[in-house]
Amino acid sequence: MQVDGVQEENDNVEVAHHLVENTNLDLETYAGSYRGLAKLHRLLFVAEHCPPLRVEALRMALSHVMTTYNSNMYQEIHKSLQDAITGRQSILPDTLVGIVHNVPSLDTQWIESTAKKAALKLEKLDTDLKNYKSNSIKESIRRGHDDLGDHYLDCGDLSNALKCYSRARDYCTSAKHVVNMCLNVIKVSVYLQNWSHVLSYVNKAESTPQVSEQLNKDSGQAVVTRLKCAAGLAELATKKYKSAAKYFLQANFDHCEFPELISANNVAMYGALCALASFDRQELQKHVISSSSFKLFLELEPQLRDILHQFYDSKYASCLKLLHQIKDNLLLDLYLAPHVSALYTQIRNRALCQYFSPYASADMNRMASAFNTTVSALEDELMLLILDGQINARIDSHNKILYAKNDDQRNSTFEKSVAMGVDYQRRSKALILRSAMWTNQIHVKSPPREGGQGGEMSLAPGNAASARN
Amino acid sequence: MANALEHYVNNVRTLSQQGNLAQLCEFISHSYEVLSRNASHLDNVLGTFDLQHHSLGVLGILCVKYSLPNIPDFEVLYLQTEEFITACNGEQVRYATDSFAELCHKLTNNLVDRKQPLRGISLLAKAINKIQLSPSQLTSIHADLCQMCLLSKCMKPALPFLDVDITDISKEGGLYDARHFLQYYYYGGMIYLALKKLDRALYFFEIAVTTPSMAVSHIMLESYKKYLLVALILHGKIPSLPKYTSHVVVKYIKPLVQPYNDLATAYATNQPTELRNMVTKHQDIYNRDNNMGLVKQCVTSIFKKNIQRLTKTFMTLSLTDMANRVQLAGPREAEKYVLHMIEDGEIFATINQRDGMVSFHDNPEKFNSVGMFLKIDEEIQKCISLDAKLRDMDREISVNPHFVMKVGISSLLSNWYNLDCFQFTEFWNAW
Repeated sequence: MQVDGVQEENDNVEVAHHLVENTNLDLETYAGSYRGLAKLHRLLFVAEHCPPLRVEALRMALSHVMTTYNSNMYQEIHKSLQDAITGRQSILPDTLVGIVHNVPSLDTQWIESTAKKAALKLEKLDTDLKNYKSNSIKESIRRGHDDLGDHYLDCGDLSNALKCYSRARDYCTSAKHVVNMCLNVIKVSVYLQNWSHVLSYVNKAESTPQVSEQLNKDSGQAVVTRLKCAAGLAELATKKYKSAAKYFLQANFDHCEFPELISANNVAMYGALCALASFDRQELQKHVISSSSFKLFLELEPQLRDILHQFYDSKYASCLKLLHQIKDNLLLDLYLAPHVSALYTQIRNRALCQYFSPYASADMNRMASAFNTTVSALEDELMLLILDGQINARIDSHNKILYAKNDDQRNSTFEKSVAMGVDYQRRSKALILRSAMWTNQIHVKSPPREGGQGGEMSLAPGNAASARN
Repeated sequence: MANALEHYVNNVRTLSQQGNLAQLCEFISHSYEVLSRNASHLDNVLGTFDLQHHSLGVLGILCVKYSLPNIPDFEVLYLQTEEFITACNGEQVRYATDSFAELCHKLTNNLVDRKQPLRGISLLAKAINKIQLSPSQLTSIHADLCQMCLLSKCMKPALPFLDVDITDISKEGGLYDARHFLQYYYYGGMIYLALKKLDRALYFFEIAVTTPSMAVSHIMLESYKKYLLVALILHGKIPSLPKYTSHVVVKYIKPLVQPYNDLATAYATNQPTELRNMVTKHQDIYNRDNNMGLVKQCVTSIFKKNIQRLTKTFMTLSLTDMANRVQLAGPREAEKYVLHMIEDGEIFATINQRDGMVSFHDNPEKFNSVGMFLKIDEEIQKCISLDAKLRDMDREISVNPHFVMKVGISSLLSNWYNLDCFQFTEFWNAW
């Protein structure tokens, strides 16, 4: 109990603001697989949670933000970069000072020119849109809205971007446009972390007739994969791991190009972990391990593939060890980090259940060694699982043996029915009394103003109270 | 002056003889003023009546005597009342249930004021038996009896009345009030609490809490507090109230009992320390509400609940381990708890004192003994009779001309199978 308790506490703190010191994350390739705001968000997340990579991440974010119109973000990143470097200077040896002096100075000129450019572009797009509207050409209006949305997104104004994208909805003439609009809205909603919005637009997109028809064609596949990924992300964020896993598993490897949101590595990571945490053995075998499409994803994350196989082969100790190794990297993932500890606990519980399922009795010493833990810690874990109803067993604490419990159906049925009978009697009596109450019109009314009744009412409990003493 | 009294005596005599009791009741209710003006002569008038034949006349005079501003000689009046309640003619008195109940209330108040509640118990029990139409009829005197029993700490005499499930309520000339009803169930619940019949107590408090209401009643509020505590002791959690609970409870009463809700939340964590902290935090409030005793029982029950949880997960466990897990002071205290729980049949276990181990067993009841079958059969019979009762009530309502008119034959037929008893009573209420 003690050991476990401390661990859990740490996890909780980590969720709030965890810091990762040791990671083998290759920032270059990591950032390379994203585009646009997703890249910025992810880099900033890494910077916030991983001190060793902070400066590098911020530098990359800074160079990336220069390519957009997002001057606010530029200022923010620049400030935190400066903070990070000055903060480091005090502790780092002189050898690094050279790099440290490389801090780019705040490019005010760039900020001004960008702001100006952005304003100009905005004005142009606005007038364009007005022209289109006066000509009332639907297609052009839609495009105008989309362009405006793109521009807002480029400037980092998410709420306006969302508004523009959703305004385009009224001017959609073909199913393709509808899907396009949905994808845009989904993208912005993910940035805003408005998950219910994401899910509803995924549904909307999927229910447009041509999407399902195009399912076999390439373009259709790409759209479907994007939708599944977005839905999976939303389910993951709302802690519905099982449905998240199902969505991720439906993604198609060849068409997984959604750098604005998610990389193929992410799909593999999210899908595999959610599946481990929520699928039973058959489901795992059928949908994950022998799934030809997901296999390709798993090739991207060989460690995860190994974990999956070891879990399926019941080699829990090494599986859990591997999981522990990749934990730091997972904690640097923008969307997965808040769920890592929950997912890990679920995976561990599932492993415990699966370990015990074929046995009628199990030696807890051996079980503890199979799970890299002590007997007493195992006992506590098992106790929680039994109380939770996940394992049907009883612990013999004296001999340290876990026995499977076989319920006597007949007895429990008798017990249940007797309880039910008592409950029925109680409820029926209450009903009969209640009908007598109604026929006599008994109900508590508010006492007449300043009437004596109120006083009497409050007296009654007082009397009763004195009676008790 | 004397004339007025003579007039009263004569009228009572003739009307009683003619058996014109309804008219007599009306006459008596009109003569209260005359009688109270002639307070000093009332005893003489009383002398002229025969208890059996002129019960109503005596009742009228006694009522007046109780309502005098200060009762001159209470002992005499008490004797007269006792004599009257023992010997009066039940048939006659039932014409004036309101005055009869009034008499009992006043007697109760006087005894309470004089701090002699014990004297009223048997008298009120007699009074209830006299005035009831059936043993399952509730009268306002029930509440008085319960109050007396509580005040005198003599609970048993109320039990024969409390144990009967009420199916009917005496109207008492429209004077029967929700207050009497609530008092009865609140006091009744407390009597059951004192006798440790928690299940029944919970039922009584639940009825008090679910009484239809449009306003917050203090009795309901106090009942709700006790309801929460008893539910915690008994079940370890707060059961949801029935659907027909008045919205007043949810809207106004729940926020008023925050310390008790906090207690329930602390209880739900299964952590005794948490519960203890909460108890210390709100100690003043619990003390003020006179619920501290129940709160302490809650604290004890959380240990028991935790031990019961252990029986689900362990087959054997050392007393030291157990003490650690349920946060008891030591193996000795754990042993004490387990011992008591085994004795009360709350868990099935044996303690091995030699190596300090407890082994938990399954329920030894295998439901294959004759005694058990007899018991189950009894339960089934109870259910069947209840079902028959419900069916009767159902039929009574469905052949009621008002109901048929209201519902209309066609919809009645289509809805026949969907309506349950409660809906019928709602219809009943609707006229």
